[in-house]
Amino acid sequence: MAQANAPGTISAPSCPADGAVKLTMLLTVAVLLLMMAFGLTMRMAQGALIQIDPTIFYRLMTAHGIGMVGIAGMSGSAIMWYFLSRHVSLAGWVFWIHLGLFVVGVVAILGSIFIGGYAGAWTFLFPLPAISGGVWDVGAAATYLIGVILVGVGFLVYLVEVGRAVIERYGNFANALGWPLLFSGKQDDVPPPTVIAAAAIVVFNGISTVVGAAVLIISLINLYLPSFTLDALLAKNMIYFFGHVFINASIYMAVIAVYEIVPEYTQQQWKVSRSFVASWNAVVFLVMAVYTHHLFQDGVMPAWALVMGQIISYASGIPLLVITTFSLLTYLYRSGIRWDLASALLVTGIFGWSIGAVPAIIDGMISVNNIMHNTQWVPGHFHLYLLLGQVALTLGFSAWLTRTGVHASLSGWNARGFTIYLLGGMGFAIVFLVSGASSIPRRWATHLPEWHLQDQVGSLFALAAILGVGIIVLPITKRLVLSMRG
Amino acid sequence: MHQTVLFTSLVLMMAVAAIFLFSLSRSGAGDGSKKAPKLGALRFVLFIGALVLGAAVSIGSLRPWPRAVAAGADVVSVKVTGSQWSWEIDRKTIPVGKPVTFNIATTDVSHGFAVYDAGDQLLVQSQAMPGYINRVSYTFRTAGKYRIFCMEYCGVAHHDMTDEILVVAQ
Repeated sequence: MAQANAPGTISAPSCPADGAVKLTMLLTVAVLLLMMAFGLTMRMAQGALIQIDPTIFYRLMTAHGIGMVGIAGMSGSAIMWYFLSRHVSLAGWVFWIHLGLFVVGVVAILGSIFIGGYAGAWTFLFPLPAISGGVWDVGAAATYLIGVILVGVGFLVYLVEVGRAVIERYGNFANALGWPLLFSGKQDDVPPPTVIAAAAIVVFNGISTVVGAAVLIISLINLYLPSFTLDALLAKNMIYFFGHVFINASIYMAVIAVYEIVPEYTQQQWKVSRSFVASWNAVVFLVMAVYTHHLFQDGVMPAWALVMGQIISYASGIPLLVITTFSLLTYLYRSGIRWDLASALLVTGIFGWSIGAVPAIIDGMISVNNIMHNTQWVPGHFHLYLLLGQVALTLGFSAWLTRTGVHASLSGWNARGFTIYLLGGMGFAIVFLVSGASSIPRRWATHLPEWHLQDQVGSLFALAAILGVGIIVLPITKRLVLSMRG
Repeated sequence: MHQTVLFTSLVLMMAVAAIFLFSLSRSGAGDGSKKAPKLGALRFVLFIGALVLGAAVSIGSLRPWPRAVAAGADVVSVKVTGSQWSWEIDRKTIPVGKPVTFNIATTDVSHGFAVYDAGDQLLVQSQAMPGYINRVSYTFRTAGKYRIFCMEYCGVAHHDMTDEILVVAQ
C-alpha cells in the first residue's frame, strides 16, 4: 500500500500507474484549454463578434459538451485513484487500460465531429443521432456513439477495479460505506473518507455507466436497423440518468482531493463522523433519484416522478452545504492554513460547487423550470460548479501534485492567474444567469441583436477565465512533464 | 418572476460567499495546531432548518400543481407539431383571457415548444417528445404577437425553428 508524500516535495511515484495519473492531468490541461477555446468561440459567435457557420457552431458545441464532461470524469477518476491507492491495493495496469480506452474514444469522438460532421450534442438525445436532417451520415453518428461507449467501458473497468480493491480491504461494501458506524455507532475498522467516497461512487457511477452503455448500444443498433427502436421517453430517462450521475460523479471524485490534501495544510485529519457517513450514503440515493428534474417539461412523465425531482433537487444540496462545505469551513477556521495555489484552488472548488448549487436548486423547482428550462440559466449554474468547482479541484490537485515550495506559493503570477481565473469564471457564469433570467435560449448558434451585449460581456469574462487558467497551468504543465521524464 | 428568480439566486449566492469570506478571514488566526471548533449542535440546527425550509418551499411551490392542464368547455385547444425545422400550428389566432391548452407533438426528433411575449420573456414551454403528446396550458392576458421558439436542440437549424401566434381581444 502506498504512503502519502511528504509535504513540500514533488510527489514521488506513490501510487500504481503514477505515470498514467500524471499523463491524465497533462491531458486534462490540454483538453480543458481547447474546450474553453471552443466555448469562447461559441460565445463570440452568439455575440456577433465573429461569424461562423451554424454547422460549425453545433460541432463545436457537441465537442465542447462531450469534451468537458469526459475530461471532468477522467480527471476526477485520476484524483480518486491517486488517493485511494493510499488506503487499498489497486492494480496499476487497470488505470492504463482506462486511460487508453479514453484516448481511443476521444479520437473516435473528435473524428466523428470534425471529419464526419456529427453535431447531435453530447447528450445524443434519441433519435437525433439517426435523424440529422441530412447534415451528418449514419457512419459519423455511429463513430460518435462507439467513441462514447469506449470511454464508458474504460470507466466500467476502472470502477470494477476500485470496487474489487475496496472489498478486498474492507470485506464488503457495507463496511466500506461505514454502515456499522452509521447504524450501531461504532466500527472496528472505520474507513477513511476517501474509501467511503470511493465505495459510494462505485455504486452510483457504476449503475449510471451501465445504463448509459445500454442506451448507447441501443442507439447504435437503431442507426443501422431503424426497426430496432426504443421508446423516446425511456431513452431520455436513461440518458439523463446517466449524464446527471456521471457529471456529478466527476465532482464527487475530485472532492476526495480536499479530504486528502487540506489536512496537510490544517494539520487535522478529516474526521469520519456518523453525519459524514450518513451524508455519503444519502448521496448514493439522492444523486441517482434526482435526474427527473431534467424532465420537468415532459408532461407525459408521471407527476410523482416530477415531484420527486423537485424535492430531491433540494435535498441533494443538504449533504453538500451542511456536511462538506460546513466541515471544510470549520476545519479552516483558525487553522493557520498556509495559502498557496493548491489550497486556494481546492477551497475555491468547494466554493464554486456550493454557490452553483443555489441556482441549480432554484431551477429544480418546477414553477421556475417552466420559465428557465433550456435557457442560459442552465449553463449559468453548471459552469459555477464545473468551471469554478470541478476544474478548480482538478487544478488544485495538479498544483499540489507538482508543488515545489516557492513555485506553488500564492504570489506573483500564481496569484495573478488565480485572481483572473476566479473573477473571469464568476463573471462568465453570472452573465449566463442574467441571460437566463432574460429568457435567452441556450444552444442557439445565432442570437437576436438584443441579446448580443450580454453575449459580448460573457465573451470578455470567458477570455479572462481562459487567460487565468492558462497562467495557472503553464508552470504546472512544465513540472508535470519534468516529473514524468525524471 | 424572471427577475425575482435572478435576484433571489444572487442574494443566496452572496450569502454563501459571505459565509466563506467570514471563515476564510479567520483562517489564519490560530497557530495551526488548534482543533476545529465543535459545531455539531450548529450543524444539527442547520440540518433541521434546511429540512423545514425545504418542506415549506416544496408545499408552497407545488400547490397549485405547476404542470396542471386546463380542462373544460371554454378551453381553447391548439395542436402544435414540430418537425426539423418548423412548427405546424393549427390555430394561430388565440383569444385573450381564455385558457389555452397546447397539444404538442413531433414528427421526428425532440423539440422544445416555447412561447415568448413581445418583451422577449419566456412565458410557457413544453417538450415535443417522439411518440407522445405533451400538454401545457396558459392564459394570455395581453393581446399582441407572441413568438414561438424551439428550446430543445434538434439539429443544425434549431435556432431558425421559430413561428408566431396572435392573441386578440374577444
